[in-house]
Amino acid sequence: MSAVALAPRRLATAELRFSAGRATAILLLLACGAAAAVLVSAVLGEYPLALGRALRFPASVDATVLWRLRVPRAVLGALVGAALASSGSALQGLLKNPLADPFILGVSGGAALGATLALAVGLTALVGPSLFAFLGSVAAMALVLAVGRSRRSPYAALLTGVVFNAFAAAAITCIKTLVSPDRVGEILYWLAGSLGYETPRTLAGAAVLQVACLGVLWRQSGRLNLLSLGDEDAASLGVPVQRTRTVVLLAASLSVAGAVALSGLVGFVGLIVPHLLRLLLGPDQRLLVPASALAGAGFLVLSDLLTRLLFPLVHAELPVGVVTAVLGGPLFLWLLQRGQVPP
Amino acid sequence: MNPAAALLTLGVLAAASPESSGVQRLGPAAPSVVHRVVTLAPSLTDTVLALGAQDVLVGVSRFDERPEVRRLPRVGGFVDPSVEAVVALKPDLVLVQPGPGNRAPVEAMAGLGISILVLRLASVEDVLAGLRATGAALGRAARGEALAQALEATRAQVRSRARGLPPVRVLFAYGLEPLVVAGPGSFADELLCDAGGTNVASDAGRAYPVWSVERALGAHPDVVLDASEGAAGREALQSLPGLREARWVRLPSPALLHPGPALGQGLEELFLALHPTLPPEAGR
Repeated sequence: MSAVALAPRRLATAELRFSAGRATAILLLLACGAAAAVLVSAVLGEYPLALGRALRFPASVDATVLWRLRVPRAVLGALVGAALASSGSALQGLLKNPLADPFILGVSGGAALGATLALAVGLTALVGPSLFAFLGSVAAMALVLAVGRSRRSPYAALLTGVVFNAFAAAAITCIKTLVSPDRVGEILYWLAGSLGYETPRTLAGAAVLQVACLGVLWRQSGRLNLLSLGDEDAASLGVPVQRTRTVVLLAASLSVAGAVALSGLVGFVGLIVPHLLRLLLGPDQRLLVPASALAGAGFLVLSDLLTRLLFPLVHAELPVGVVTAVLGGPLFLWLLQRGQVPP
Repeated sequence: MNPAAALLTLGVLAAASPESSGVQRLGPAAPSVVHRVVTLAPSLTDTVLALGAQDVLVGVSRFDERPEVRRLPRVGGFVDPSVEAVVALKPDLVLVQPGPGNRAPVEAMAGLGISILVLRLASVEDVLAGLRATGAALGRAARGEALAQALEATRAQVRSRARGLPPVRVLFAYGLEPLVVAGPGSFADELLCDAGGTNVASDAGRAYPVWSVERALGAHPDVVLDASEGAAGREALQSLPGLREARWVRLPSPALLHPGPALGQGLEELFLALHPTLPPEAGR
């Protein structure tokens, strides 16, 4: 890992450390890694899949398992992982807070509260909890943005998000006390975060949303670099500070809302992937945002593969949020201990 | 009433009110003769075994503990069955106890062309319908009908034995810390009535509520049916006035806990637990 050895200690400065050619090479490499993760994830699992049979006989069980279970699930994992990691990277830069994860702006609380209310009321018999989670997180996002705009500091948005998440957690606890045990079971499972099987239409919709949000974040990534110099310096360099902040918050939150709606709360991807990449590639958001998306996709797909491979041992699929936290937690502590988490 | 409170109230009502039909079919129609059956809940496994159809079982949930199915593959739990593990077993019928939690994976299975029989087992009526529907689906309709009629006959018999006996005030506790009890709408509540008991938690509002200990003291039950696992909280509750005077009874078997073919046996055990001074044959 020569890149680790080369990583400089001066991480806070937004210096250029890569040429366009090197950046392209890095992104291509990460794209290949993500594609490989999807491929491996499609081939391995509980069912002993014969790839040849799956490809030649579309009516076989092998083909069903490949095309209707594993591939859609891997695609979902890739979309969610990309959304969480790229939003995490942008938000850490924007809020100048290394602990900013994609959920910190109240998106998680809003999604969880929306889904929990819908599950509790039984509305999910009609359309599933995803829609309500999305509505809840958009509502929370609107609240955070409104408060954040009224006070011209990134900390206002941050604190509103934290307070809202705490409120949502209390409300959810209240609801859990009031509903029947099987509903509590579902709420808990949903909150833990897991990848299921979505229809191709849902996946296509999610892909459009995520590509659009990622496009916006990538476009704004140069301005994010300048914002790290401080609002006044950035403004003197021609950055429309308030507008950039709103656009990035909006794009990141929408992206996370879309991800949370489909997978529940999958933790640590949005925290650990950007930090790892920042360590390897430096703090330039123009590279970090797309690199985080690709690496996040690969990381979540592989984590989900692990939950499926562990099935014969635990006789259950662990929620993927458990695996990302178990893998991500110690890694993050190790990074922190080495003093490599940039401020 | 503000919207949030209205939603909550609605939620509590929706959680408590029974849904329309206890038996539901998803996916394509099952073949008339099924050879490979997967069950996603122990009560459904019990039913298949009671129907004498052990040979067709190819997979069970991870909560199944019966020795007959010890060697069968596990396909996950009640809330989180693995679609791929079920598909891999190539079942021609999957028996499901519905929870809002397993709706998405079960619908995914149905979408992949697997026949599914969804059996809600909330009330005794549901259990009877479930026995008949499972029997019919496995080509053992007569056996299913016989199991259902046996349960109905046991209920009728226990009811007639209980008639004329002084009612016993009962607290049916599934857990002691927190205190989770059988409330109205649970099959245990129905069976308590059959056996000549009065459920002191009949105003609890939900089938399996976390109940207030103070309410439990104030209710002065004659009998506390203790179906909890482990010892957590028992000594503390047994020392409280109002519960100290009650006769504490452990269930002799788990028959009363599973909404399946063993409910009849559970009901007999319940009757004896409530009326221990009666000779076993009294009133027969």
